[in-house]
This record gives sequence, C-alpha cells and structure tokens, in this order.
Amino acid sequence: MSKSIHRRNIGSSQKDLSPVYHPNWPVPQVQNFVATINLDCRIDLNHLSQRARNVEYRPRRFNAVIMRIRDPRTTALIFSTGKMVITGAKSEALARLAARKHAHAVQKCGYNPKFLNFKIQNIVASANTGFNIRLEGLANRYHLLGARYVPEIFPGLVLRQVLGISAATLLIFTSGKIVITGAKAVRDVKDSFARVFPLLLDFRFNSDSNSTRNHR
Amino acid sequence: MAASNNFYDLYRHGSLGLTLTDALDELIRDESITPQLAMKVLTQFDRVVAETLQEKVKARLTFKGSLDTYRFCDEVWTFLIRNVTFKMEGNQGTVVADKVKIVSCSAKRNEDK
Repeated sequence: MSKSIHRRNIGSSQKDLSPVYHPNWPVPQVQNFVATINLDCRIDLNHLSQRARNVEYRPRRFNAVIMRIRDPRTTALIFSTGKMVITGAKSEALARLAARKHAHAVQKCGYNPKFLNFKIQNIVASANTGFNIRLEGLANRYHLLGARYVPEIFPGLVLRQVLGISAATLLIFTSGKIVITGAKAVRDVKDSFARVFPLLLDFRFNSDSNSTRNHR
Repeated sequence: MAASNNFYDLYRHGSLGLTLTDALDELIRDESITPQLAMKVLTQFDRVVAETLQEKVKARLTFKGSLDTYRFCDEVWTFLIRNVTFKMEGNQGTVVADKVKIVSCSAKRNEDK
C-alpha cells in the first residue's frame, strides 16, 4: 500500500493538529443549519397562534409558538420577546430566506418585525470515511485530546475540537460514519474534519461489511 | 351562578346543532319558550351528542388527502385538508371533497398537565 498522501507525524505534541486536505478524501455534507434572529417587537403568542397558519402553541409545555413553512422546509420557534429560532434549513442562504418568510408571516398577523442580528448558531454535517474504525484504540490514543468513548452510554466516540473561537464536536462511529456538529461556519466544519480524518486512518480495520473505497 | 358545562359545545356547529338552534330561535321569537329554556336545551344537546357518539357509534371512517394548513391553539386542532377521499366501512363507497375543515378538541375535557 503506497503512502503517497502526506501525513503529519502526530508524535507527542498532539494538540498540534493541522488540517490536511486531499482530493480523494471524503468531504462532509452539511445537513442542518440553526439560526437566530431578533424581530425586535413584542408578540402576543395567543394572538399569533390564532391568526397565523401552520402553528402550534402549548403554553404549559413550552413558551413559544412553533411555526412551520414548506419552502424552505423549516421550523421556527417564535418567542414573545420577538426572538426567533429557525431550524431545518440546508444552507446558510436558505436559513436566511426561511427567517424572512417566517418574519413575513408574523408581519401578516399585524406586527412590525425588523430583521436584526441574523446569526447561524449551529451547523450539523455528516461524513463517511468508507472504512470501519477501532474506537477503542482511537480513544486510548487521543484521551488527552478530550476523546470520550463510553460504549455503555453512547456507541460513538465524542471528540470536542476547540481552536481559538471556532469549536466543533465530532461523533465518530465504528461504521466509519462521522457527525460534525457545533460549528458556526461551514469553514469550521471542513477544517475540523480535515484535522481529524488523518488520525482515523491509523485506526481503520477492514471487515466484510465494509465498502471498498481506497484511501491512498 | 353560571352553569358550568362539562361538555364541548362544538357540536352545535354541525348540521344537527345548527338546525336545532334555528328551531329554538324561532320558538323564542314566537315567545313559545324562554331563552333560558333554549339554553338548557342546547346544554342538554351537547351532553347527549357527546355521550351518544362515544357510546353508541362504532362505525369507522378513514380519509386521505393533502394537508393544506394546521393549527393547534387553546387545545384545539384545526386542519384544512384538500382533495380528500373518505372511505366508510366495507364497500359502502367513497366520498370525495375538495376542501375539508376539521376542528378537533381533546377527548379528555379537563386535563391537568
């Protein structure tokens, strides 16, 4: 097996993980964006839930109106303070568009919403390494990096990456599938994955249920 | 002292309830009965319809359509469904409708959460 990829020697300075990109390597796919926006107007949730369409309001359970729209397919939580959370969008632009549509729905009920401080709060992405991973070994090696693997609690290895202001959490599974969550920018998602993926190559193992992708 | 009604009054908006209300209104106009008696009749109606539907009616109905809008507010569900086909038990036939509005209240009247 030729090692034509350039892999950094991890060694003892394990905190010094640099991201590595390689054309054949898998790329994480973003699945979900969570954003917040301030409409800057007080909202009577009882009134809103009676006027707007596709809403649910259970004040005893949760103090917000839950509104859904079909395009982009998203769910918004609207609070009486005028703050709103939008989930379900597949991209940053779609999240913004969805926020505008939800705000418009609020406007049609007689309010005067603004569009302040739109911010992406969380991005969820998934990736497939294409090979099985020995989580036990991975956890042992990267225990100092904060890798958590307690199979009785959760079948995945949890790796928290904090680099300056950007942070991401990776859930690594034996199947080789990865979930990247907690990032606030797509760049951080790709960056996190690029730092972690080379480490996983050391812990791959082949089994019959495996795909036959090569990572040379 | 206001009489507290333990049953939903939503059945008054069905065909039966509306006809009853019309009849009672006519009787009040003719001064054959007092408005209070009409209120009592309607309250009785609420109770009887609820009990009968719950105990005596066993027929099942299924329907399929596209959900246009939904709303859940004050423990009441409102659905607006388009292009609906209703199917009754057995081969009693199908009923088709363009637009159907469903207003639904919780079967448990006084819920303490």
